[in-house]
Amino acid sequence: MADGSVVLSVEDISITYTTQRGIVQAVSNVSFDLHAGETLALIGESGCGKSTIVLGLIGLLPKTGKITTGKVTYRRRDGRLIDVLGLNKEQMRQFLWNECSMVFQGALNSLNPVLKISSMIYDTARAHGMRADEAKKRALSLFEKVRLDPLRVFNSYPHELSGGMRQRVLLATALLLRPQVVIMDEPTTAVDILTQRSIIKVLKQLREELNFSVIFISHDLAVAAEIADTVATMYAGEIIEKGPVSEVFYRPRHAYTLGLLEAAPRLSTGAEELMSIPGSPPDLIDPPKGCKFHMRCRFVTDECKTTKPPLQASSPT
Amino acid sequence: MRKLIRSYTFRTVVQGLITIWAVMTFTFFLIRLMPGNPAQIKIDEYVDRYGMSEDQARQQVATLFNYDPDQPVFEQYVDYLSDLVRFDLGRSLTSTETPVAEQILRFLPWTLFSVGLALLVAFSLGVLVGLAMAYWRGGLLDNVMTVFASVIYAIPDYIIALLLIMVAGVQLKLIPVGELYGGSTQGIEPGFTVEYILDLLKHAFLPVFTYVLATIGGWMLTMKSSTISTLGEDYITVARARGLPERRLLTAYVGRNAMLPLMTRLAISIGFVVGGSAIIETLFLYPGLGRNLVLAIGLRDYTTMQGIFLVIAISVVVSNILADLLYGWLDPRVRLGGDKGTE
Repeated sequence: MADGSVVLSVEDISITYTTQRGIVQAVSNVSFDLHAGETLALIGESGCGKSTIVLGLIGLLPKTGKITTGKVTYRRRDGRLIDVLGLNKEQMRQFLWNECSMVFQGALNSLNPVLKISSMIYDTARAHGMRADEAKKRALSLFEKVRLDPLRVFNSYPHELSGGMRQRVLLATALLLRPQVVIMDEPTTAVDILTQRSIIKVLKQLREELNFSVIFISHDLAVAAEIADTVATMYAGEIIEKGPVSEVFYRPRHAYTLGLLEAAPRLSTGAEELMSIPGSPPDLIDPPKGCKFHMRCRFVTDECKTTKPPLQASSPT
Repeated sequence: MRKLIRSYTFRTVVQGLITIWAVMTFTFFLIRLMPGNPAQIKIDEYVDRYGMSEDQARQQVATLFNYDPDQPVFEQYVDYLSDLVRFDLGRSLTSTETPVAEQILRFLPWTLFSVGLALLVAFSLGVLVGLAMAYWRGGLLDNVMTVFASVIYAIPDYIIALLLIMVAGVQLKLIPVGELYGGSTQGIEPGFTVEYILDLLKHAFLPVFTYVLATIGGWMLTMKSSTISTLGEDYITVARARGLPERRLLTAYVGRNAMLPLMTRLAISIGFVVGGSAIIETLFLYPGLGRNLVLAIGLRDYTTMQGIFLVIAISVVVSNILADLLYGWLDPRVRLGGDKGTE
């Protein structure tokens, strides 16, 4: 959290999907602020809506998805505010990658198999009016930074690179146009643990050198704890708890965050039993009243079934 | 690495030669299993037409033909093979003094021109429309074209040809079918003149049109389904997130990847350009190799049939090899002899 100025402000956003069974309330009334240089981790289990939020932010929701309420404001380097959801198609196209780029999960399939890495770089640069020689210079220096052999990778086809290399190529490409915000959707899930370590390391270093904000989506608490400044826990389409990483992880206030932490293995506490959270997430076509977690919560009270009780600090686990 | 390339090329060529030999041998014996033989057909013709006696006709035919139906088939096969390795396809049995190779060279260009042109039109148009159908899936174009493609794909080419002749030509008199038979109008000097080329196109129009109609539905539907699965790939979403313009996205990202599975089909079609149009050429009296094949089969002209079948086999094999190379050019993942290697 460098200077506290807000780069991206998300207010009260809700997203629904229309399905044959009915309307799924995938994201409900989510708000958060992303500060310059901050890394915000969105954590939660599959289907909690964390990917849907970011797809909504960059206008890439599938046709069945719709943003029903909310406002997203982005602050450019020159101080101008942009209403992201109000951009037209062409403005959105230019906004993407210039201001806000994204690293997707599944590095293996994220690169066009018939084009060289260089074509991909040039395509991206040309789409945003960057000169080819400048793009090449920038790409080579970024490849260097993510510890790739710059020229060899630049002239390779995707299938000639390993999974970890491809993920680093994507990371470097995301920074090509010097965006202020980089969204990372589980960038380390498809790679092995050693590659994961090296990508995290590279990412931390890049963040220091290039100073950009990150929205880091993960279900891996260890990775999130290591990289994030702020953590937001999501459950059933809502942010249920948000705070600085040390507070959320060491003094969780929501029973679900506590459950997530207990379900993750830890080196420090030794051979403790892992505990899983009983039950499964609620049906979002017909969401439960009150706190959406109450059916699975071990601290449930009658109050939970009708209203959302306020968060209270729990003892450290 | 060079050794590997060499051995791959070598293997491909040997495989091709074996395929050609097998097809050649198979057709050699198969056409001799057809009822009747060239001499008998000619004898019957003389008896019917000129009222000769059976013996008279037999003598007459024996002087005309250098074909002896009583020679053992295996001996004939050995003779044929030994001629073939000297690149001699023999002479036609029915129009005796014409070498088969000369006949093929005379008729082949017409077929290559008409069917090749049709394939080019059907493929490029089908791929473009299929791409558009998938891209604007569920739209008006998609709905109309899916019905259109399914319907015309279900109609065999000879039905289309007959409908064109009978309905559009004879009944409605929309097309002057009477003027359009043959490859070109008599009296127009062949050459690179506008007049001659227009005349060629005019005469090729009906066969080409029929062939395009009969095949374009298949291209459209395959391209549509291939494009739909490509659109679901992660790299398309990623490219979109990078803010690429739609045009670049459609060509280099969607189109090129969606076309890969069609290349095999295209290769098969190219292989059948030579022999795949027999009925249409016959119906439109177009002087191509296919019509010639039908005539030769009717007369049991063994040598001509063998020659044409050989050309068909060679073209199928060669186009398959070309498809391999083309595929490698389009898809770097199967490119041969790449020495960059993965980690």
